Amino acid sequence: MRNRASTSLSKGKIRQSWSKYNLYNLQRFRNPATANRTFFQQKWSAKAVSRAYHGEQVREGQWKRMFSRRIRSVIPMNTSDLAADDGSKVSAGRGSGLKEGGPTQRSRLIPYTQMAFAPLERRLDVAIFRSLFASSTRQARQFVIHGAVTVNGQKMRHPSYLLNPGDLFQVDPDRVMYATGAPKTAFERRETRQLKQKSEDAEGEAEGEEAEAVEKPKDEKEGIRDSLKALMAQAKTIMSTDKEILPAKRKQELRGFQKAVRRVLSRSDTSTVLTDSLETQFSELTLLLKAKRAEKKPAKESKKDPKGEDTTPSAAKKSEETASGALSEAFQAAAEGGEVDTSELTDEEFDILKRALTQMRDNPIDNSKPYATPWRPRDYMSAFAFIPRYLEVNQNICAAVYLRHPVARPGSAEVPTPFGESISTPAYGWYLKRRW
Amino acid sequence: MAPRIHNRRVSNALLPYLTSSQSSSTPSLSSTCPSSQLFLRQFSATAAPQTRLRRQMFQWLSTEGAALKHHVPGETNYLQGRADRDSDSHEAPRPFPGNRNFVSESVLSEELRNEVYVRVVEKKKSLRAVSVELGIDMKRIAAVVRLVEMERRQQSQGKPLALPYARAVHEMIPTTPLAQEGERQTFHEPINDLPAHPLTGAQIFYPVPESRSFTRVDAGRVFSGAPTLEKAVADKISHPSDLVDDIIQNPNSIEWVGKGENARQVLQPADVRIPHPQLVKLELDRRAFPNERRTVAQRHAERVEKQEAAEQQRRERAQARREKSVQHVEPEGSRFDYRIQDAKFTKETTGADGRAPWAPGRRYGVPSDDRKRGVVKIPTRVEA
Amino acid sequence: MVLRIRLARFGNKHDPFYNIVIAQARSARGAKPLEVIGTYNPIPKKPTNLYDENASARPYKEISLDRARAKYWLGVGAQPSDPVWKLMSMAGLVEQKPTTFHKA
Repeated sequence: MRNRASTSLSKGKIRQSWSKYNLYNLQRFRNPATANRTFFQQKWSAKAVSRAYHGEQVREGQWKRMFSRRIRSVIPMNTSDLAADDGSKVSAGRGSGLKEGGPTQRSRLIPYTQMAFAPLERRLDVAIFRSLFASSTRQARQFVIHGAVTVNGQKMRHPSYLLNPGDLFQVDPDRVMYATGAPKTAFERRETRQLKQKSEDAEGEAEGEEAEAVEKPKDEKEGIRDSLKALMAQAKTIMSTDKEILPAKRKQELRGFQKAVRRVLSRSDTSTVLTDSLETQFSELTLLLKAKRAEKKPAKESKKDPKGEDTTPSAAKKSEETASGALSEAFQAAAEGGEVDTSELTDEEFDILKRALTQMRDNPIDNSKPYATPWRPRDYMSAFAFIPRYLEVNQNICAAVYLRHPVARPGSAEVPTPFGESISTPAYGWYLKRRW
Repeated sequence: MAPRIHNRRVSNALLPYLTSSQSSSTPSLSSTCPSSQLFLRQFSATAAPQTRLRRQMFQWLSTEGAALKHHVPGETNYLQGRADRDSDSHEAPRPFPGNRNFVSESVLSEELRNEVYVRVVEKKKSLRAVSVELGIDMKRIAAVVRLVEMERRQQSQGKPLALPYARAVHEMIPTTPLAQEGERQTFHEPINDLPAHPLTGAQIFYPVPESRSFTRVDAGRVFSGAPTLEKAVADKISHPSDLVDDIIQNPNSIEWVGKGENARQVLQPADVRIPHPQLVKLELDRRAFPNERRTVAQRHAERVEKQEAAEQQRRERAQARREKSVQHVEPEGSRFDYRIQDAKFTKETTGADGRAPWAPGRRYGVPSDDRKRGVVKIPTRVEA
Repeated sequence: MVLRIRLARFGNKHDPFYNIVIAQARSARGAKPLEVIGTYNPIPKKPTNLYDENASARPYKEISLDRARAKYWLGVGAQPSDPVWKLMSMAGLVEQKPTTFHKA
């Protein structure tokens, strides 16, 4: 199908997309004029405007077959109201209810016509877009066609599959990260190309880079203290939510942090950790930190007993602790010697370091990914981010359950539409009349 | 993201005729232009591919729209209409300035989701009980349990999770937090939603003597076209929620009216059709015995237990029936299992002429619709 | 004339689907049978294992069969064809056919 969805500025149509062009169009959108226009003309333009947003990828004939004049709605019931009256009070008098005790508050109106395009929300591609797994319905559609989507555990290749209540759909997390993440810069793309080339070249060769990583410092204690300090500082900058730090700068910081972590790890005697994956590195480091923390408390009371072995009950942990003994001891010595280091180990800072480490593990720099790493949301995503109630989404695994069909309730309608009732009502009216 | 390269290189000095109408907007643009790029542009003979609209757009994006580029964690960051900007009140967040009827509603926070899972799976509470405790719809609770279970399984299998993405999304949209120890849990959504029944769409003129009390039970009968209840039966119902117990025990006990294709069940009062009918009973008890809180709570617990037992029994029976009708065969030395489903090929199931459309198996002498226009050709259902 | 219990192919190209039918032995495959007693879908389906990890991972094929009618027709001497014999032996309606040769 030809993509007519390119968001042009001259037409100013609103699409199901997160692009900045769309945002600008959304911002400057004005309702079509109704003065001096026939009812037919009003309905026509309302229909044209709303169809550009709702199911633009669906052919008109297909949509007309899907259209249903029945609109689902619910009323939230209040149990105390139900208990107070069995209905006879409302029907008393002349059928308009008793004056006293009857329901006095005026209920808000149900915006029925806002639900005109509710059948389209059942489509798989639209539901994926609504769950924030794709940046546009067109992209969601592509994910489905390319086989990145499963429904109830089975691969589903039809974007027009109509979800049934209770269906669970899941999108490949890598695609979701790509769709919602910031794109790579030209520099990053070049790095990726080089990485690819390198891996192709050096497939058969032995890794000669191992030796480079191990650099023994002369003064161990000094070195560790410095590197831990640096680690702290970098962790702080990484965790700071200051917007002024540019992504490139943040990335540099992260790289430095990674390097610092590696330096600290290299000092612990287990040399295998360095070559291991990030996960083991992470667990090792947290273990180091934990050991330090456990030792810190007894250290204040009795300096003679640096190894708080009673704090770790499991034998497996103990052995690892002895492996990291060098670092712990050095740290202990530093804590005893200088005042600077005691301040370094406050709970708050420990927390920051831990958070930075977690983030480094969860959101690493990985040039093989198709999006900019570390992952960050794409620009202008937040302006479009909402999840309607008829979906229950779990972002961690990029899966969602279609709970029920969207409904209208007093004062609100669940179908996300940028148009008010002055557009949706004539549009609904257009499809009510059968013209084919 | 910066606008495409062209934008940077255009300056008002070069295109006075294009920017004349936009005199206010140009200084900010030209000020950002590096001078080296300016020179590059001066010797280019091609006209800048920059329309007035594009320029306006980038102008807007760099001024008013700049705030929308990045989110502030914990806050929504939606486009604001004029009304929003003027009032500046703390209303429900609306993503579309043109649509006052659509609200960005909160989602369950990570902690609340895990709490739901813990209560249902580890503490073995029923969905119904957890729904009332936390104010979450029962369907949503079932979905959360499914999803969290899947998440844990994937985690144990070492499959990658989209953690940074999940964190970012939860920073952007409103969430319902889990209450701290000792606090009251804020309810996520209304749990007693009554779906509007199509039969209630009709406007019916139905005269009733003023001396008679016309209740919800009677209204339901009028809507479904059933005859009025006999007085002896009607007198037994002091409140519409008296019907609840019987219907929970046996949903087939609801009366039918009409014949053939028009046959329909009598529309039941709202007290029966809401998801948590026992809460109405609880409220009635509270009104009747305001000083006996413990007894009231106990009676409520008993009723809920009874209802859950009945539902559980029905589910088990249905499951047993389903399992009994399917025989699983796993032959040795075969690459496949076989599932043999019991079927009945009788006059009732295949129709009088043996070619009823609902009959099992493919039909003889019936045209195949699989290429016809307007017929759904893709799957309509995926078995879980 | 011999009555046979055999398969009648339906479905499209590369998408077979069979009715298990009672028919005169010499009648055409697509002719109207005396009776339809079941269906057989030879395209294997994969179990999703969405909720039950321990479930068997082998793909399965679906058969539906009216056992009462099958017994009746076997009783009056209808003869299953080889593929139907295989299906029916799995349903426990007939003895498994002995293979003509023994494995070494």
